[in-house]
Amino acid sequence: MAATPTFDRALLEKYDRPGPCYSLYPGLPHLHKSFSASEYHQLAQASNEDPIPKPLAVGVHTPLCRPRRSGGSSHGTAIRRTVHASEYLDHLKREITLQAQLFDNDRQVEQLHLDDGVPACFTDEHLMALLDELARQFRIASSDDREFSLRVDPRSVTPERIVSLAALGFDRLSLDVQDLDPKVQDAIGRPLKDDQVADLVAAAHHAGFRSLNIDLVRGLPGQTLESFDATLDQAIALHPDRLTVHDHDPSDEASRTPCRSRAEDLPSREGRLELLELTLARLTTAGYVYIGQDHFALPDDELARARHTHRLQRNFQGYSARADCDLIGLGVTAIGKIGDSYSQNVRELSRYYTRLDTGQLPIWRGHDLSFDDLLRREVIDRLMCQEWLDFASIEARYRIVFRNYFAPELAALAPLADDGLVMVRRGAITLLPAGRLLLRQVAMVFDRYLNKPQQRRFSRVM
Amino acid sequence: MSLPRGVTTLKEVRDSCRNCRLRSLCLPESLSTADIGKLEEIVHRRKPIARGDYLFQAGHPFTAIYAVRTGSIKTSTLLSNGDEHISGFHLPGEVIGLDAITSDRHPSAAIAMETTSVCEIPFNSLEALGEQAPALQHQLVRIMSRELVTEQGTAQLLTRRSAEQRLAAILLNFSDRFANRGLSASRFRLPMSRLDLGNYLGLVPETMSRTFRRLEEQGLLSIAGKEVSILDKCALTELAYGTGPDASDTTRSGRA
Repeated sequence: MAATPTFDRALLEKYDRPGPCYSLYPGLPHLHKSFSASEYHQLAQASNEDPIPKPLAVGVHTPLCRPRRSGGSSHGTAIRRTVHASEYLDHLKREITLQAQLFDNDRQVEQLHLDDGVPACFTDEHLMALLDELARQFRIASSDDREFSLRVDPRSVTPERIVSLAALGFDRLSLDVQDLDPKVQDAIGRPLKDDQVADLVAAAHHAGFRSLNIDLVRGLPGQTLESFDATLDQAIALHPDRLTVHDHDPSDEASRTPCRSRAEDLPSREGRLELLELTLARLTTAGYVYIGQDHFALPDDELARARHTHRLQRNFQGYSARADCDLIGLGVTAIGKIGDSYSQNVRELSRYYTRLDTGQLPIWRGHDLSFDDLLRREVIDRLMCQEWLDFASIEARYRIVFRNYFAPELAALAPLADDGLVMVRRGAITLLPAGRLLLRQVAMVFDRYLNKPQQRRFSRVM
Repeated sequence: MSLPRGVTTLKEVRDSCRNCRLRSLCLPESLSTADIGKLEEIVHRRKPIARGDYLFQAGHPFTAIYAVRTGSIKTSTLLSNGDEHISGFHLPGEVIGLDAITSDRHPSAAIAMETTSVCEIPFNSLEALGEQAPALQHQLVRIMSRELVTEQGTAQLLTRRSAEQRLAAILLNFSDRFANRGLSASRFRLPMSRLDLGNYLGLVPETMSRTFRRLEEQGLLSIAGKEVSILDKCALTELAYGTGPDASDTTRSGRA
């Protein structure tokens, strides 16, 4: 496993094509509406039947008072309607009750994640009521065996709030900072006061958060090499355990900036490559380990340790060191992952309410993964997390002959191997240092859905 | 469209006892070709039963015995307190319903654990045929004897005190049964749910999972979903039938 990825401009330019981020395979566009709540019921019940059922994870999503995002996420919501937090909380509780009935009561909730809208819209009293309801309906793992994480927009919280969130039991924090330069913040409509982020970070350290992540975005309007260098300087000085430096793709609808910035303000493609080169150089010099897909972590952070011991996994928040869970999604547009299926809740608040008012789970669409999906997902996950894939283990598990089943893919991999991105030898695919920044590109070779007609727009690989 | 005389359809080939890959476990074992032909005439191949559906219910009149062709069946009885007790799991090639011969009613219910197809063998016809074909009679008695042995094995299994011993013993038992069908003895998919297996072994689901995890931690097994791989058969056998001291008293009598 290579420690540092190689930055090779010619290769990056050659392979810079849009591609999915593979936080789930097949991706959201392949969920279909014929997947019903009753199918979800069956899958949830089947998930109890394994000799050792997976632990549970809960993700809470809210559309409320969500400030417009200008980059980073690939699944923003279109709903901006403001509603009463208590009405929404009421329905979340109903959803918790319906969901809890489906899972055997000895299955513990080991992970809880709140989306950035949640702390912005709910008061501590609301959050406490939410946690109480979860603890009443599910068995929550003891604090040593669990991970309660939340993502916040730094504009929506005070240092005092960070302390009270820690008191509620949250121990992992992600700050969606994006950029620390006032000019860039103005351009994306997210002004922050001097020291605002530093104060939050200090509060988080003081309150005992076990892990702190800072999200930055490269390729924002007004960003220059100099300005981003200064942003990285400040971010490094805050000493977060993890840093995620997303690529902002102006062609990506989902992350279009709200202020309709003029095209000339946006860094060029070349400029974005330079920003990547700068990010890599600065963060690795500062001692951060490149985990993969824009994620960096300090060597003693559990992500870096998990990567070192080949226990790294992927989930909806990116990489994780935790065991694979069955994920229950709560709230509008929330995503669930139960057994070998994905599901997503309805997008419209009114439908979300109506369904719960009539005692039904608000499932909108989903997908029960086929054999081929599961096989390809495992191949992609292994490449993304271990950066190495031996054919024998896949063959034993799926009872296929790798070279036959994936003959077209191995042929398609040949030019990438010629360019030094991967090595295919002795029954294994190994990602090489030059391929680490083009991980998606390698994964895309195994994506069966990419060759299908309904092409979607993704953010660029780079 | 009708086929010319003498041409056998693929369906007939697949459905016939003489071509059945399970024949060595089932009634046709050691029968002459002529006798197998007679048996085929009385065997009725039922439409597949969906997961969770009943093949027969407890208390229903006994008319036939059944051989599992594909899938799997659990048999269960109701305890006096209204709880369900699972008395057995039946895999392809195994015959069920024999316990009803004595009373003319099924003492237990049979439920499909997955999509399951069975051969129905009407018992009156089978008895009549047995008079003409002593080998069939003999094979039926052998199957009954096999069932008795299994039953005794179960009784023994449940007197093993620790949860680990019980689980080790049942996994070895499944391993043998899969091997009998020519499948892998070291890697197989458990057809039943954690709840049902726990019910059978007298363990609550939580203990069930803990016990699986302990055997995995000891390097005896590995588990992925419902698929079990036996990594150390010797140690597992030692655990199940060795005479070491009891590991713990995690065994609880509660039926889930």
